[in-house]
Amino acid sequence: MKHLTCLFILLCLSACETVQPWERGTLARREMQWEPDRMEISLQAQINASKEASSGGQGAAGGGCGCN
Amino acid sequence: MLKQWALVWWLALFALPAAAGAQVGEPAPPVSLPLLSAPAGQELSLASLRGKIVYLDFWASWCGPCRLSFPQLEQMRRELGPRGFEILAVNVDEQERDALRFLEELPVTYPVVRDGTGDTPGNYGILGMPTGYLIDREGIVRLVHQGYRKSDGEALRTAIVELLGESPR
Amino acid sequence: MEKNPALLALTSSALLLPAYQGVRADAPPEFVELGMRYSKYEEDDTKGSKTFGGNSQRFDIDAAQFHLLAPVADNWAVAVDVQWEDMSGASPWFVGQSIDGDPKVIMSGASIEDTRTEVSVTTRYYYDRGNAGLNYVHSDEDDYESNAIALDGSFNSADGMTTYSAAISTSRDDIDPTQGAVPTNTLHDNKDISSAWVGVSQIISKNAIVRFGLAYTYRDGFLTDPYKLRDRRPDERKEWAVSGGYRQYFMWPDGALHADYRYFDDDWGVASHTVNLAWHQNLGRSTQVIPFLRYYSQGEADFFANIADTEKRYYADDYRLSSFGAITAGLRVRYEIGNWAISAVGERYETDESWGVFSGDESPALLNYWRYSFGLDYVFR
Repeated sequence: MKHLTCLFILLCLSACETVQPWERGTLARREMQWEPDRMEISLQAQINASKEASSGGQGAAGGGCGCN
Repeated sequence: MLKQWALVWWLALFALPAAAGAQVGEPAPPVSLPLLSAPAGQELSLASLRGKIVYLDFWASWCGPCRLSFPQLEQMRRELGPRGFEILAVNVDEQERDALRFLEELPVTYPVVRDGTGDTPGNYGILGMPTGYLIDREGIVRLVHQGYRKSDGEALRTAIVELLGESPR
Repeated sequence: MEKNPALLALTSSALLLPAYQGVRADAPPEFVELGMRYSKYEEDDTKGSKTFGGNSQRFDIDAAQFHLLAPVADNWAVAVDVQWEDMSGASPWFVGQSIDGDPKVIMSGASIEDTRTEVSVTTRYYYDRGNAGLNYVHSDEDDYESNAIALDGSFNSADGMTTYSAAISTSRDDIDPTQGAVPTNTLHDNKDISSAWVGVSQIISKNAIVRFGLAYTYRDGFLTDPYKLRDRRPDERKEWAVSGGYRQYFMWPDGALHADYRYFDDDWGVASHTVNLAWHQNLGRSTQVIPFLRYYSQGEADFFANIADTEKRYYADDYRLSSFGAITAGLRVRYEIGNWAISAVGERYETDESWGVFSGDESPALLNYWRYSFGLDYVFR
């Protein structure tokens, strides 16, 4: 699993034709951001972490909660 | 004397990135592009502005810092235009309507031309958006301005005024 | 050769003027942004068939979020996020065996009423190839207090196609369970959580990006649920998470596909898969409709059992450590007008043991809920 991931990353880095700075218009779109709505993601992550056994994944851990 | 300025040019080149395109101290690559919203694809060229200090600004509707640069550049153009300063803005949006929409929000009085093919920014070797080139009266690139922060207007204005003060050759 | 004063003057001037040849300027936001959200979270009643004592109301939460993001000087930005939650309801106390052999939940009798406040402050510095941020979070409620700090940074490659990021964080949580409703497992205790994360994001084409991340979390201290009758967990927990994400824009429908996956594993025996899918559909220039789907499947902790064996070293009957699958389906809508944006979200979350890929005993306390949120954003252009 780990090896496949590394391979994929390497393949990507070498195979990707450079997208020039003036060609980055589409990537600047709101819907092409990793998290367009930060408050929504933060709320979802918090609910999921307090009602399930898994947490984290992207970015640093946030504040705690008195999960019941 | 030949050695003296040859050495200086050498040093200058070393300080610059290896990228091709427009470099400080070199003539600005030619630009002749259609004006935005002008009838029958009327063109404007950089050569036609020879004798003025020109700020060649590569911009796009999706470039965030352009929302800061446009009002500041417009202000500079109004103030320093009569002294022989001009701005030539080159839009690189893939869709012209995106550029027009941006200009509705942030209108400017200086000429805006368009190159949606990527040829002109490619010739200039642009490394990021936005990028501006300050070109002197002889058509030589004197400054490459990468990105745009809120206080950049001050530094740019100082550079333009200094170039305006230079006696033409 | 004659001295050419004009040429010399030209050369000297060229060297005097600064030539900032930065590769890719990472910049703070141009304008101040303000945002707020109001959310309602309502758990389904636990069915009478699953509890001792008939239908039982579970948790309801009213939450309000506030967000402020402001550029400071040329290279800095500050973000302040505040969250208020008003919680009320009953919680599973323990699981017992009914006469017909099925495990059933006993809910905490009295209704818990609590308010949580969380304040988060982040300062971020932008340099030409990336940015770095420092974040402090303080969370406070009647029975729980948390203080956390995090440091993160990201760095772009020379061609701007790859971004490397990393983050580390640590928190200290103080637990003071409210006395009265149920006997608690502790009167006062604490726990520490530390985590580290690394990620890489790559531009694949003009329309697509991909990212990978690896996270490690270490928990240490009182990890037992203080309000559960039969609950004793190890005082250490090591977690790993591997994640991947993909975004692609499609010109003809004018929409973007979001796909994210996370695999989670820890030393308590819990493993999970999470898949998130969303389609961001543009309707004209002002409206966005975003249907989304989430699939989640977790395996049970080693020491989980519906009828907890209190003879064992560790035991828990908490459904959150049981094996189950969960599906979320929802819709988000966003409308932009001038400098304002209005948004609304509705989502439904349902769990079932048979939906998961791991096998285990189904907990009678599995929950389902509805969540609605309304939001308002403003950019000071």
